Amino acid sequence: MNLENLTIKEFNKGLVKKEFSAFEITEKFFERIDKEDKKIGAFLRTTKDLALSQASEVDVRLAKGDKLDVLAGMPMAVKDNMLIENETATAASEVLKNYRASYDATVIRRLKEKNVVFLGKTNLDEFAMGSSTENSAFKVTKNPYDEERVPGGSSGGSAAAVSADMCVSALGSDTGGSIRQPAGFCGVVGLKPTYGAVSRHGLIAMASSLDQIGPIAKTVEDAEIVFNAIKGKDLLDSTSVELKPSDSGLQLSDLENMTIGLPKEYFGEGVEEKVKKEVGETIEKLKGLKLKFKEISLPHTKYALSCYYIIMPAEVSANLARFDGIRYSRVISGKEDNVLKDIYFNQRGEGFGEEVKRRIILGTFVLSSGYYDAYYSKAQRVRRLIKEDFEKAFDKSGGGVDVILTPVSATTAFKIGEKKDDPLQMYMSDIFTITANLAGLPAISIPTRNFKKNGFRKEDLPVGFHLVGKKFMERDILGIGKYYEKI
Amino acid sequence: MALDKKTLERLAKLARIEINEKQEEKLLKDMRNIIGYIKELEDLGTDNVEPLDGGTENKNVFNSDDESVKKIKFNKEKTTGSFPKKEGDFLKIPPVFENNK
Repeated sequence: MNLENLTIKEFNKGLVKKEFSAFEITEKFFERIDKEDKKIGAFLRTTKDLALSQASEVDVRLAKGDKLDVLAGMPMAVKDNMLIENETATAASEVLKNYRASYDATVIRRLKEKNVVFLGKTNLDEFAMGSSTENSAFKVTKNPYDEERVPGGSSGGSAAAVSADMCVSALGSDTGGSIRQPAGFCGVVGLKPTYGAVSRHGLIAMASSLDQIGPIAKTVEDAEIVFNAIKGKDLLDSTSVELKPSDSGLQLSDLENMTIGLPKEYFGEGVEEKVKKEVGETIEKLKGLKLKFKEISLPHTKYALSCYYIIMPAEVSANLARFDGIRYSRVISGKEDNVLKDIYFNQRGEGFGEEVKRRIILGTFVLSSGYYDAYYSKAQRVRRLIKEDFEKAFDKSGGGVDVILTPVSATTAFKIGEKKDDPLQMYMSDIFTITANLAGLPAISIPTRNFKKNGFRKEDLPVGFHLVGKKFMERDILGIGKYYEKI
Repeated sequence: MALDKKTLERLAKLARIEINEKQEEKLLKDMRNIIGYIKELEDLGTDNVEPLDGGTENKNVFNSDDESVKKIKFNKEKTTGSFPKKEGDFLKIPPVFENNK
């Protein structure tokens, strides 16, 4: 059985036809991880015992003749900021180095019900704060196309693991582009669902009004299968909502009546030539599917990064207050803890990395008395303007569009170390993806073409295009994506 | 407003984060850069715009406690398992107040 480019459907076919057992293929994946991950560093740790017992269960059920879900036995990697019961969950931070999850995240529970096999936990920027996975407290993950380059971030481990065929698909989380940007850099598909489409219960929170869990996969169809398995209302996340039962999806003939908007603010200066060329060719291919295109304007785009870098740190400063050294694992400090607050200062001073400290302090600043109105409250108003830009663009009565297309990132994967010491430069790498989080919209990153056709080549780094849909209309962006892949 | 050293120290104290001199220098430089950038929002008029205070505009989502609790089984041992100091059923921490004698 060839593990390369193995999709969920093909995996399921092989399993049902008994070309391999779930146990055998799980072992094969671990062999591959042992070999490949020495170079890539996508996994923080594997969960071999769990995976092999899950795989055995699938084999037993198959032998009994049970009807299994298409996801049964599917080897999956999980970003290490999601909880799997009894497994370590670090969020790539020293402060959680010894933390073992006491329950399953809702997404994990839902996937366990479908007998998914969890191979291990993948690397990320500490607490998902970063765009390169360089901020992990434990290791640097490399881009499979060029080991001198970053895989993107913060879900860089998950994207690299899917790209290098060390799993069939993976889970990531996206607060400002953390699924889509690494998917773009690694030549795979990444979906950030609508805010509220997927429960965040059991996701270690970064910025709660922006965070969403979503799939990273080899094809749009795979991303859709995983999304359908994890979506829906969950009592343990009151922002989650019940979605309409999935319909038959978009018909090819539907595309004739759809218009794609090209926001002029996303195609300006600063976009690398290769990105422009690849995305331009994608647009031409989509025209072949009879999709119409229209230039639009999202006038408040230029303020999005500033707005994001106020709202996100504000929420970070509140969410990370819980890592006080009491409730979760404790950093072994060389200093003495004479009174309670010493634990807090030592734990947080020694345990948090530079970027995490920067964001907590920045968040404390924008929320502090005297600056709240000028920064936080202002940013909330700008956030509404950004959301209204999209509502106007999508408004059918005003000749609006159905879907918006942009590049995922202005550049291809950058070099390891290139932006590490300049936070503002690093922040800029999310410039095209953060608006979908601020507006709560579904968005997907899809490779412009099959970059891996002739193996990983550093001369041909992947480029992704980005489709943003209307609220809860994942169907549109997934549908267009699926037809695009068939071209 | 350029962020000064004293303000930064106060913020770090409020956030309960110990920072040393060297970290402070870098933080101050980075924070000034970032604040200098995000200040651009001042240029945008937002007088009649209501703040958007979350990812959803849902209001008052109520759950019955029974239903929520049933969904999740808390396990005391697992939840407190990694706590470094215990005495019987209690988790042990140093005193809250400093001893001034």
